Parts: sequence; structure tokens; C-alpha cells
Amino acid sequence: MSVRITGIGLVSAIGLNCQANLLSLRTGKAGIAPLRNLSDREGLLVGEVKLRNEELVSRLNVTDHISRTSLLGLMAAREAWNDMPHHSSLKAGIISSTSVGGMDRSEIFYRDYLNQGNPDYGLLLTHDSGNTTERIAAALGITGYINTLSTACSSGVNAMMLGARLLQQGKLDRVLVGGVDALTRFTINGFRSLMIYDEAWCRPFDETRTGLNLGEGAGFLLLENEKSIAISGNKTLCYVNGYANAADAYHQTASSPDGKGATLAIEQAISRSGLGKDQISYINAHGTGTKNNDLSESVALKNIFGDNVPKFSSTKPFTGHTLAAAGAIEAVFSVLSIQHNLIYPNLNFQTPIEETGLIPVTE
Amino acid sequence: MAPISVHSELLSPNYKDYIEGGLLRRMSKILRMSVACAKDSLQQAKLDQPDSIVVGTGLGCLQDTEKFLNTFLTVEGLLPPTSFIQSTHNTIAGQISLSIGNHGYNMTHTQNTLSFEHALIDTELLLQESDYQVLVGAADEHIDFLDQVKTELDLVLPVALTSGASFFVATRDRGDAARGQIVGIEAFGMVENIHDRIGSFLDEHKISATSLDLVLFAGADIAVCETVLASLTQAGVREDQILDYLSYSGIYPTSSAFALHLALDQFKLNTSYRYILVCNCLNRNNLGLILVESVEA
Repeated sequence: MSVRITGIGLVSAIGLNCQANLLSLRTGKAGIAPLRNLSDREGLLVGEVKLRNEELVSRLNVTDHISRTSLLGLMAAREAWNDMPHHSSLKAGIISSTSVGGMDRSEIFYRDYLNQGNPDYGLLLTHDSGNTTERIAAALGITGYINTLSTACSSGVNAMMLGARLLQQGKLDRVLVGGVDALTRFTINGFRSLMIYDEAWCRPFDETRTGLNLGEGAGFLLLENEKSIAISGNKTLCYVNGYANAADAYHQTASSPDGKGATLAIEQAISRSGLGKDQISYINAHGTGTKNNDLSESVALKNIFGDNVPKFSSTKPFTGHTLAAAGAIEAVFSVLSIQHNLIYPNLNFQTPIEETGLIPVTE
Repeated sequence: MAPISVHSELLSPNYKDYIEGGLLRRMSKILRMSVACAKDSLQQAKLDQPDSIVVGTGLGCLQDTEKFLNTFLTVEGLLPPTSFIQSTHNTIAGQISLSIGNHGYNMTHTQNTLSFEHALIDTELLLQESDYQVLVGAADEHIDFLDQVKTELDLVLPVALTSGASFFVATRDRGDAARGQIVGIEAFGMVENIHDRIGSFLDEHKISATSLDLVLFAGADIAVCETVLASLTQAGVREDQILDYLSYSGIYPTSSAFALHLALDQFKLNTSYRYILVCNCLNRNNLGLILVESVEA
């Protein structure tokens, strides 16, 4: 039984829908720019979605007691769901993922709370990550299986994997899967405290890389089984054939120098798909631009592919690192890559990493 | 076991028996509780490495979240990163995998009051796929700030807000150490008709309400409690077979994990029990159901 991808939706610094994202990727138009929507840290380089909350609220026609995380997620989720009617004989669900949840509102509350002003406790009602998904589900009329994963930067692809497994076991017939995170002061300060925030434009897989630029956005994909497409009539864009999750178990934030976790996951995903390693034509890498990630990931790629590493690139210099949304956004980029026979350039690359010598696609 | 009262304190093991001192000092309450529970359940199951680790948490690592909010909003210049690192929900499952060196599937579900049920559903999938042993659990921690939020938002709750962690080893095959068997799990978000949902869940598992020996129930909304209690008693469950588990656990988003533990203990105490239903209506929009069967039966 195959799992089909039949709908995709995107919101990122390089566009408010799939078409706009694709155009930016094709023309090399990056979305990294000085921060505008958050008052402090002005000028910091980020991948911001170029709409304020008020504009999102009016475009999406929802109430304004909602987190930016839900707003961005709903925008991408609506594009992927594409007004598909519900059907009583089909079990539908949604799995979103987020790392900040409603922190964009909670941190405004907490600032006012510390300042002894008159904080609005109502802002906290959208704090929990599950709420961000419930709001998206409610807007799309999805009831029943409503779930949220939170596994930091792997969240988006984990949602996709869980959705595929639920379809494989017949628990659901159609499921919207994805990830979303809004830019927050919490995460910006957090990554700065880790000393891995690059004040300049990020340079994944480059020897001179010194860190990441945070971004925001959402990616959603609609997964359906045969029974569901017989009713929806949706066209299959791609199939989900292989997936895996493995723990690196090395350090809370750092990846292992031997790339153990990544190696295990890549190996198991390819093995599950039944494809040969030489059949992989493109890898959309995580490539955050931090010293640690890019080295560990490069080692993992060499562990798997030896001297025959397929064409690969990181799209983080376009979008910034969108945390829980990253895997979902990049999965949609990968669907677009297959549909349009495109490989995206790894911007800002000049010098290979000394230890591994891997060279990403740059044009 | 006595119901909780205003004088109740969190029961804590000697954490040093489970966690190395240096690491323990940096760990918040939720991480200590989780790593200790996880290790204890692995020891009971005589298992070194589970195939997977699956965790549910409603609100995640609140203590470190609050700490980092305080840090970056009040401190100028370089910020210490520890509380940021430990603020993310996946720190719990991550710390467990680190503490035992586990390279298997590692997942964190966070769907407020249904987070544990979703972790269990994932576990069920894993055991149907290629796993034999899964470590599954849930945790949430209380911080004083939550009581202030409760007051400010005029939330009326039947018992105190508390902390809790419960972990289990779930296996594909019934081993000698088995304490119970999970027959069915439901996590239904945006539920409209709780009465019908419970009915169809029992039908799906071919169990009549009269064969339930005990229902462990949680509800915070009076109307929802009345609906569920009326529908259970009409279906033939006696009132004395319905136990409000919140009066023992207190309220936290994943308290249904405590209820599962309580159900397994009840099988030990009452060997005639065959079926126990955990009915989680803590949030009126979400329905969680866990049907457990005794292994003795």
C-alpha cells in the first residue's frame, strides 16, 4: 500500500505559497534580511515572512486571539488541503509540529508581567503547542486525530513519517502533516546564547561557516491512501517510500562527530524504500551553517555514500533555519524538485569543509 | 493511597540512585522525574535498551522555559544557554536516550491533555511494525506561576495543579513480567458527542460497559462530568465502579499516564478485575480512552 503526497503548501521568507517559493528558488532570490517584525534585535539577519500578524489575520479571516505560529501554519495547511471536502467514510487527521508553539504571544505577556504593568493573561491561552494545531484543525474542520510533535529541528519530517505510518496501518485515510514555527525573541536569544547565530548571511557546508540565521514559516503536505484519492480525485504528486528516525544520543544540542544518528536514519530510510543508494538523485540537506551540524552531516553522507555522494544542497540561505518547520518546508521543496526536475543552489558556498571536502550544488 | 490535599507534597525517589550527581544538579524537576521513572521501569522489565523511546508532555519543560524568559528579558549581554537548551519539549526523551545511550526511534508528542494517549498510539504502531520493546511515558511539571495563571484566568479546578511522570515498558509479546495488556487507545480531538464516542470505542473492541470492572475518570468541566457519568451508569457501570483519579494525581495535562499506572496496580490488588477503562475528559474538547485488560484473565 503506498502513501501518496497529493497536496503541498508553503509559507516562508521567500514566498507565501508554493509557486512564489519556487520562483524565488529558481531565480536565486533569498529571503534573509534585517529583522522587522520584532522590536528588539533590529537589524539581525533573519528569514522573516513578510506579513505582520494583522495582515495574516485579515487574509486568513480568523479571530486575532491566535498565535503567529498558528497563522503561518494555517496559511500553508490551507494551501495543501485545497478546500478538499470532508467525507464521512474517510478517517482524516492532522499532525503538525512546532518547537515554539504560542511563544510569540507568551513572551509579550511575560515582558509585561516582569515590568509590573497590566499583563494580559489571555495571551497565555495559546501557549501550548497542541493549541497551535487545534486552531489549524478547527479552521479546516478536522476532528479526531489531531496531534503535535515537538522534536526540535527534526519535527517536520517526523510529522510526515508518523502520518505515513498511520496511513500504512490503516488508522487514517488522509492526513495533513507538516511543521511550523514563528520567529520569537525566545529562540533568537536562545541561539545567540549558544553562540551559533551568524551575524552575517549563513554559509552552509562552507569551511568559513560560523552559524545559522533563524527563519520562520510553515510547510504542509497532504498524504492520502488509495481509498481517499478515489473520492478526492486528487492527483498524486509523489510517494513517500522510506523514512526513519534514530537518536544520536551524543549531546543535548551538538551532533556527534561520527554522525551516528544521521547515518542510522539515512541508512534505514533508504533501506525501507527498497531503492539503491545510486538511485538517489538529490539530497536536500539540513545544512544549518553551524560548524557542528554541517561537519556531522557531511560525515554521515560520506558514511552512507562513500565517494559517490549524490548532488546535495542546503536551502537555509534562502529561508533561514525555520526549526520545526524546516523538515516540512524542505520536504515540499523536494516535491517541487521532483515535479520540476530542479536542484536548488547552495548559496554562499566557496570553500569545502577541510575534513570532508564535500562540494554542494551551487547553481 | 490517600487523596491529595493542600498539605500534599510531590513524592520523589532518591534521584541519586538513578542519576549521576553532576547531571542531576542541572536537571529540572520534569527531567529528574522522567529519567528516574524511565530507568526504574527499564529495571523492572529487566531491559537494557528499548527499541524506541516515546514521550508525551502537555506543557513540556516549564521550569527552564520560565527561567530562560527571565534571563533574556532581564540580563544584558552574554546569556547562559543551559535553560534554553533544557526548555524544549524533546529534552525529556533526549535526556533518557542520552542517559542510557539509546540510538533507537525517539519521539515527543505534545497535544495538551491527549499527549500521553498519542504517545501510546505511536507505541502501538511501533509494536505492529518492527519493534519488540518500547519505553513509553509522560511527564508534566508544576511551577508556581501556573497557580497565578489559574487565579487570573478564573479557572475553577476540582483539585490542585501538580507534577507527575509515569513510564512503562510496552512489549509486543506478553512476557512473564507483564502487568496488563492494552486492548485499545483512542485520542479524539474536538470531540462533539462524548457519549457516542465512548459507545463506539467499546463496540469496536467488543466490550460491553457492564464488563468493565473499573472506570478511572478525569474531568474538570462539571457539565462534561455529568454527561459521562450519566452515560456510564445508564450503560450499566455502577457508581462505585467509577473512580476520579485526579483526586490522587492532582491535575496536569498527562495525568492519564498516572491513571494507567493506577489501573495496573488495581489488577494486582483485585485479582478478579478483568477490564479497566481510563476515561480522560480533563479538557472538554478532547477525549482520551485507554482500555486495559488484566493478564491474569
